[in-house]
Amino acid sequence: MSELKPTNRKAELLLEAAAAGQVAEVYAMDTVAGCATTFDPGWEVDPFGGVASLCQPMEADLYGCSDPCWWPAQVPDTMNTYPDWDAGKPSAQNDWRELDAVFPKK
Amino acid sequence: MAPSRRLAALLLAAALACGATAAAAGDLILTGAKPDRLFVIDAASRSVRAEFRIAGANGQVGTIVPSPDGRIAYVLVNRMESIVGIDLKDGRQVFRADLSTPEERVKGLFAFTVTPDGKELIAYEVPTRLLPSEYRVEEPRFAVFRTNAGLKAKAVRHYPAQRRLHMLLMRPDGRSFYALGFDLYEYDVRSGKLLGTRGIQKWQLPGHSQPDLLAFWPVTEPSGVFTSPLYSEAQQGGQPAPMTALMSLDVASGALDYRDFEPLSALIFSTVLSPDRRTAYGVYSTLTKVDVEGRKLAARVPLDHTFYSVNVASDGSEVYIGGAMCDVGFYDAASLEKKAMLKLPGCADQSVASLRVVHGH
Repeated sequence: MSELKPTNRKAELLLEAAAAGQVAEVYAMDTVAGCATTFDPGWEVDPFGGVASLCQPMEADLYGCSDPCWWPAQVPDTMNTYPDWDAGKPSAQNDWRELDAVFPKK
Repeated sequence: MAPSRRLAALLLAAALACGATAAAAGDLILTGAKPDRLFVIDAASRSVRAEFRIAGANGQVGTIVPSPDGRIAYVLVNRMESIVGIDLKDGRQVFRADLSTPEERVKGLFAFTVTPDGKELIAYEVPTRLLPSEYRVEEPRFAVFRTNAGLKAKAVRHYPAQRRLHMLLMRPDGRSFYALGFDLYEYDVRSGKLLGTRGIQKWQLPGHSQPDLLAFWPVTEPSGVFTSPLYSEAQQGGQPAPMTALMSLDVASGALDYRDFEPLSALIFSTVLSPDRRTAYGVYSTLTKVDVEGRKLAARVPLDHTFYSVNVASDGSEVYIGGAMCDVGFYDAASLEKKAMLKLPGCADQSVASLRVVHGH
């Protein structure tokens, strides 16, 4: 933990919890799901350090990640914040050109 | 030839051409797809028997739990805020529980189950109180609904639940159910009393690290056993060796077992156990066959793309794969040879929808 530098408030809270010995409920991807509860590295790297074991193609995994809010930093949170992001675009492999970037609401 | 008879003849010809077997006769595969579809697939003819639109699905179709008699499919929809019951005969919505209220947003994260008599549905609820100036995280709970409550079902009782659950599995005696989360919990159906906790995160398997488990697909058919791949590091010669294990939970006897079967060499998202309980099948970007008794990898073949979910014919002759994209695959259980691939009408993504098997009526 000492080699990690927090970059947001949640990470700071995690460090504080570690210092206080209260991280018993914080684990990396052990049967958790939903917004901001997973620590998986993301789509950049698979468990073997490469990319061959990522979902193939990535479109196969796109809605499987946005629907359960699996990668909240990498796909829109359609569970709460952007529920219409995929409206009218039921097939990621066919409709990916129509899927727009999203931006935090002011 | 009348159009309907011509269609039937074409379907039969297509079924024969792609090697459909009488062995899978009677198996109906249930899957969902965006934005609101529930498909009923005849496994023997590799054809869509019914395509239902779920009113109020709000773009997402997730966990599917068939009623014990196989006549109704309970489906998690509406961004995990509603559970609906769909009559598989005609697609009519016969049950609906909207979990949220204007004051409280409730997510049923993947997890619900139905009692063996079909009379009650138990949902895992993760509530957030929507206050004027803040969102307040509430304690998770179970909500019990009567399945005959119609389209405005309200919970008849609540009881406290653990955090981080994502699967409920009813026991066949109807007295208790399992809840999978960081560990494996068992609750009394009537009182909600926590009857026991067994290790997943705290599995304490000698020489193994804390395991990693992803279990969203509540499949216990046809064996009565839930299985899931599970990953950990085992100490071998003083060195950590990543291993893949098969977790199995017999929901009737309660027997819980973990068996390493290969050094980690391919990811598996979900597994299913054959009816004779000797073989398990797993999917991700490959289809994996596991010799359960021999604790070893039996075979592995590449798939056309990533699939999330897997099931098996009730006679064990074929493996069905689905989820993620818009096709459902049929593979020979012995050879893992691809026998057919059914593209769903409209080619909408199944995403995280369950792939369940019921029997025709």
